[in-house]
Amino acid sequence: MNWPGVPSGYDEVFEEAGRPRPHYAHLLSILESFTAEDVERRERLQRLALMNQGITFTVYGEEEGLERIFPFDFVPRIIPAAEWKTIQDGLIQRIHTLNLFLQDVYHEQRCLKERIIPAELVLSRREFKRELLGLAPPRKIFTHVVGTDLIRSETGAYLVLEDNCRVPSGVSYVLENRSLLNRVFPEFFASYPVRPIKEYPTLLLDTLLFVAPRPSQSPVVVVLSPGIHNSAYFEHSFLAREMGVALVEGRDLLVEGNHVFMRRTHGKQQIDVIYRRIDDDFLDPLTFQRNSLLGVPGLINVYREGNVALANAPGAGVADDKAVYAFMPELIRYYLGEAPLLDQVPTYVGLRPGDFRYMTEHLDQLVVKTTGDAGGYGMLMGPFASAEERTSYLEKMKANPGNYIAQPLVHFSSHPTRVDGRFEPRRIDLRPFILYGDRIRVLPGGLTRVALRRGSFVVNSSQGGGSKDTWVLAPREP
Amino acid sequence: MILSRVADALYWMGRYLERAENAARLLLVAEEMATEVVGLDEELARAEWDDLRLIFPSPDGGRDAVHASPAASGQAALAELSIDPRHPYSVFFSLKKARDNARTVREALTIEVFVNLNETYRELEAYHRLPMDLPTFRNALSESHRGILSTVGAIEQTLSRDPGWLFLRLGESLERVFRTAVVLRAKLPALSTREPTVDLPLFYSRWRGLLRGLSSLENYRKVHGARMEPADALSFLLFDPHAPRSLRYGTAAVKDLLEQISGPRELSLPARVMGKLAAELAYQGQDVLRDGGGLPFLDHVLGELGRAHETLSATYFGS
Repeated sequence: MNWPGVPSGYDEVFEEAGRPRPHYAHLLSILESFTAEDVERRERLQRLALMNQGITFTVYGEEEGLERIFPFDFVPRIIPAAEWKTIQDGLIQRIHTLNLFLQDVYHEQRCLKERIIPAELVLSRREFKRELLGLAPPRKIFTHVVGTDLIRSETGAYLVLEDNCRVPSGVSYVLENRSLLNRVFPEFFASYPVRPIKEYPTLLLDTLLFVAPRPSQSPVVVVLSPGIHNSAYFEHSFLAREMGVALVEGRDLLVEGNHVFMRRTHGKQQIDVIYRRIDDDFLDPLTFQRNSLLGVPGLINVYREGNVALANAPGAGVADDKAVYAFMPELIRYYLGEAPLLDQVPTYVGLRPGDFRYMTEHLDQLVVKTTGDAGGYGMLMGPFASAEERTSYLEKMKANPGNYIAQPLVHFSSHPTRVDGRFEPRRIDLRPFILYGDRIRVLPGGLTRVALRRGSFVVNSSQGGGSKDTWVLAPREP
Repeated sequence: MILSRVADALYWMGRYLERAENAARLLLVAEEMATEVVGLDEELARAEWDDLRLIFPSPDGGRDAVHASPAASGQAALAELSIDPRHPYSVFFSLKKARDNARTVREALTIEVFVNLNETYRELEAYHRLPMDLPTFRNALSESHRGILSTVGAIEQTLSRDPGWLFLRLGESLERVFRTAVVLRAKLPALSTREPTVDLPLFYSRWRGLLRGLSSLENYRKVHGARMEPADALSFLLFDPHAPRSLRYGTAAVKDLLEQISGPRELSLPARVMGKLAAELAYQGQDVLRDGGGLPFLDHVLGELGRAHETLSATYFGS
C-alpha cells in the first residue's frame, strides 16, 4: 500500500517514510491486509448507512432543504493515553478559567480593573450582555458544554485554536462515527484499548440536571432548537432522543407567571432546564433581538428570577471571543496561579494599534478572522489569497479594526485519509467536548475534522471538511 | 401528553404514510386491471384511470381529460400518481411529506422507523433518474409498497405505546377509513349503473378489482366464498366488523384511539363525532344502501370524517 508523505507540518502516523509511529503500526498492518475490492465494498456500505440513517447536515446558502452527508473517513485518528492526559488536564484548566473569567466579568470585573485584559476589548464585544450584569447562573456555571478546537504544531505539540462556549456542535458525529466505524471495519478494534464514548448523553443529562432550580422534584429538561432548517438540527434531535427528553422549538414554549412551560396536547408543563442550541441574540425577543421568531418572549426574566436554568448561560459567548482568546494565558495565570498546560497560537488583536499595524503590513503571512463569526465564515487566508482579495479585505479591516484578529498560518498536522480510492495526507484538527456539572469532565474522544481538499487548511463541514473516528487509548497500550 | 407540535407532526406522518400505501396499492391494481382489459373493453380500461383521478385529484384537474388512448392516459396517470413531486397525492409526494414530518420529530421515533421510511423514500427518489416504462413503474411501486409496509412494521415492533404512538395511529386510521370512503364514492356510481349485459366475467372482475384495491379480496372470500355478489361486496366494505379497511372497522378504530387520547375524563368533541358515526355503521345495516341510498350515505360518512379531522386538530394541535 502506498502512503505518501505530508507536504508540510507534523505527520500523525509516520515518524519518517515507511516507519509508522508505534500506536499506528498495528492499524496499518490491518489496513494493508485488505484488498482494494474489500476496501471499496466497505466504503459503499458506509455511504449507504449514512444516507439511510439520515445523518446529514444542512448547508446554508444553497437551495432550501438541501441535505448533505458529513463525509466520514474510515482511517481512525489515534491518541495515546499519555498525550490525552496532557490534553485533558489542559482543557480542564481552561474551562475552569473561562468560568472564573465569566463570573468576574459579569460581577466585580477585577480582571478589567487590574488591566489583565483591556476593559474596552471585553465590554465592546457583541457577546458581552450588559443586561446580565450582576446575574449569577445556577451554581455559577456558565459553560456547561464546551467544544475546544485543537491543532498540532509543526513539532506535534497540541495548540488551542479556539474555545466554543456558546453552542458547540459536532458531538453527535463523534458518537455516530464510532458506531459507523464499528459496523464497517470491526477488525480495527480487535487489539486497541479504545476508550468508550457512548455515555456522553447520560453525562450531558447529569450535567443539565445538576443546575436544575428544583432538583428534588424530577426536573424537566428540554433541548431547544431553532428547527429543522438549522445546520445542526440532526444533532439537536439526536441528543434529545439519546437523553430521552423533549426537543422543543421556541413556538412550543410560553412564559406565564415567571415560569416557562411547553404546550402539550393536554395542557402545559413546566420546564426546569433548557439545553438551548440557539444563539443568545435569538433567545428572547423582549431582551435581545426584537424580531427573533425563534425565541421565547420573557424567557430571560424567568432566568433572572432563577426559575429556569439555561445551558450554556446567556452571555457566555464573550469568553470564546477570538480577541479574548489572545489573553487566555494571562487569565489562566491570573485566576489559577498556574502556567497554561496547553499552548495556543500567537494572536494579534486588531484593537491594539501596534498589532493592527503589523496585521496590515503582513497580511500575506497571516490568517485573519473576524471576532464574531464561526464556521470559517468571514476569514482571510492571507498566504493563499490573491492581491485583490487582500486589498478588499484590508478595506473592511480598516473600517473596524477591533473586529479582527490575526494569527500566523500554522502548518498543522496531517493524517492519511481515503481520497478518490487512495490514501493521501490531509490536515486534521480535534474538537474535544467538555462538560461542566458537579465537576469538569472531558469526553475521551472528540471530533477529528479533516480538510478533504488537497492542500487545504479549512476543516469546516460547511466548506468541504469531513471527519474521522477519534480513538483515545486507555493507559495499557498494545 | 406530548408537545402539540409533535402530536401534529406524528398525526400527519401517519396520514401520509397510509396515503402513500393506498396510492401505491391502488395504482398497482388499476394498472394490472387496465392492462388486462384494454383489448376487450377500451372504455373500461380508461375508466380505471379516471376513477383513480377522482380518488387522488390533481390540483389542475382539467389537464387530464385529453389522452388519445387509454394506454396514454394510463401512462400519464401512473407517472403523475407515482413519482411526480408536484402531484399532491403521488406516492412520492406523500412519502416525502411523511419523511419531512418524521424528520421534525425524529426524537419521538426509533431508529428503525426512521431508517425504514428514509430508505423507502430514497429508493423511490432514485427512480427520478431512470427512464420509466411500465415494468419499471411496477417495480418502483412494488418496492415502495414493500418499504411502507416494513416501516409500518417497524412502528408496530419498536414504538412505545405512548401518546405519540396514539397520534401516529390516529392519522393512519383516519386516512385509511377516509380513503376507503373516497374509493367507494368514486367507484360506486359506475358499478351500480353499468349493467352486466355483455360480459359477465368482466363485470365481476371490476368488483374483484375494487376489493383488491382495498386489500379486501381475500377477506371477502373468507366470509362469502369465491362467488362475487355486488351487494355482498359492498356491504362487506361498509359493514364488516373485522376487515381493517371496512368503513365500520376503520371508524371504530379511529373512535377507540380518540377515546384513549381523550382519557378517562369527559369525551372530547372529535371522540363524540366518531362515536356517533361508529354507532351508525354498527347498527344501521344494509337498508341504508337500498334505493340509491348508498351515495348519500357515503357523502354523510365523508362529511363526518372531515368534521372529526377538524375538531381533533383544533382540540390537540391548536390549529
